[in-house]
Amino acid sequence: MKYTLKRIGLLLITMLLVSFLTFLAFSLVSGDPAQTKLGTEATPERLAALRHEWGLDQPFFVRYFRWLAGFFSGNLGVSYHYSKPVWDLIASKVEVTLCMCLLSFVIITLVSIPLGIWSYRWVGGPFDWLRTAFNQLCMAVPPFFTGMLVSYGFGIVLRVFVPGDVPDLHTQFGAAVKHLFFAAVCIAIPRIAMTIRMMRSTVISEMNKSYVRTAISRGNDRHAVLTKHVLKNSLVSTITFLGQTMAEIIGGSIVVEQVFGIPGLGRFLVASIGYRDYPVVQTIVVILAFWVVLVGTIADLLNQHIDPRLRLGGKT
Amino acid sequence: MKKQKLNGYLVAGILITALLLLLTVYGAIHTPYSPTAYTGAKFEAPSAAHLFGTDKLGRDIFSRVLKGMGTTLSVALATVAIGAVAGTAVGAATGYFGGLVDDALMRINDALTAFPSILMALLVISLLGPEHKYSLILALGIVFIPSFARVTRTAFASLRDVNYITSARLMGAGNLRILLVHLLPNTGRVLLPALTIGFNNAVLAEASMSFLRITPLETSLGYMLSEAQGMLSAAPWYALSTGIVIALLVFGVGLIGEGLQQRNKEA
Repeated sequence: MKYTLKRIGLLLITMLLVSFLTFLAFSLVSGDPAQTKLGTEATPERLAALRHEWGLDQPFFVRYFRWLAGFFSGNLGVSYHYSKPVWDLIASKVEVTLCMCLLSFVIITLVSIPLGIWSYRWVGGPFDWLRTAFNQLCMAVPPFFTGMLVSYGFGIVLRVFVPGDVPDLHTQFGAAVKHLFFAAVCIAIPRIAMTIRMMRSTVISEMNKSYVRTAISRGNDRHAVLTKHVLKNSLVSTITFLGQTMAEIIGGSIVVEQVFGIPGLGRFLVASIGYRDYPVVQTIVVILAFWVVLVGTIADLLNQHIDPRLRLGGKT
Repeated sequence: MKKQKLNGYLVAGILITALLLLLTVYGAIHTPYSPTAYTGAKFEAPSAAHLFGTDKLGRDIFSRVLKGMGTTLSVALATVAIGAVAGTAVGAATGYFGGLVDDALMRINDALTAFPSILMALLVISLLGPEHKYSLILALGIVFIPSFARVTRTAFASLRDVNYITSARLMGAGNLRILLVHLLPNTGRVLLPALTIGFNNAVLAEASMSFLRITPLETSLGYMLSEAQGMLSAAPWYALSTGIVIALLVFGVGLIGEGLQQRNKEA
């Protein structure tokens, strides 16, 4: 319990730091957005009015805490480009991106854990090099290239979904998930390969430990030892790795959304960078970073539940 | 000393990478056609005259890919150089001296891991201004500093108190000399595989960024791939040749990394 509270405290501090650094960086570069919006011929009165409307006449820390509070109240400022509240612009996109990332995460977990255990059987075999090479190949093909091939093959040739036209998540949940599934797979492939690679080396080092030798020498089946004892003991490092995977999934989603024409945060972020729409950019950046930190914390909490030694600050 | 077994991954990786490097050097000196000029019919399938065919504007794709490799490779190398030099410096300082600076930098490092590398690069580019040509290199270089710092910090910290370092210190060697002459060469074991991973991440990140058309790098493989998406049904060879070249580049260096790690394990 003490550990959980400590970990949640650390989470809040990291979130605060992340949001502060982002806000600070954008405040430093954004210059005078009111001037940019209205042009050089704007009257001082118009400028002052717009600055007041956007809250730019407030001191830095007041603006920062207002914006931070906006994550709870939904008031995240006004987009410079669209002149609409930021939250109204991104609310639906947050759902789409999170749904796709979660889907990808589930695929990675479900595929890579069994395969990671299974890949141990290849160790020392004549075709182990082939498996390693295939693994490296999966890591080498960029997700946006896979995405192009998948959206062409399944979207245009086989017509399983219509590229660029994602059904609404609320009214047609099944159809939307089917659409996002293909994008999620493209993000997942290189990460599955990485997870398997990492699990393989964990399993190899576990198998060399004496408890495994004891278990086998007492007449236990190798397979049972692998799935009953070794899997459990490899779980902690696997969960940590999967927690870090969320960052890569989010990074991948930014590009893959572009390929599939998915109206998510990543695509909107890229467009907003082009418009120099800083309120939108900083909010999206912080939302995505929060998500990564949150998943990392959940992974840590799960781990300390699995392995109580971690609660005492020890190492496995 | 036992004779080293031939490391298949290393050999295969070096062969693939060397082939691609040769092609890149060739492309920097000479391309069959101008990569931007109209050379013949549009959407021509691969043939002896146009090895990879032509695109919507009748440009020779083989020439474009050769040029694109040059751009992508030089951006990736510059990026890794920035990330590795700065990251190693930070890692060395924090790992060797430890203390308050170490704690502070590691906390910042923790906060930075919250940003996925592509998101971080987008953030830095957005701050630097996307229209500058060097924003991309600088942004990606900055993005790779923390990962190099983390890897080298561990290596430097683990070597800090070994006997030969203590004896060097007793013989009056200064901190700088110990860091550069005694410690740095011994971190090669972790630094080399980290370099191959960093290079691959840099190639993929550069390709992603130009695929998103964030920066004005029109001769990069990623940008070409985004062009190719629009012509996928009329000229599938454009997307395939560009995508396969990116994948091969990463695959080759990935194999080198795999081979290096395997050799470390056996040694």
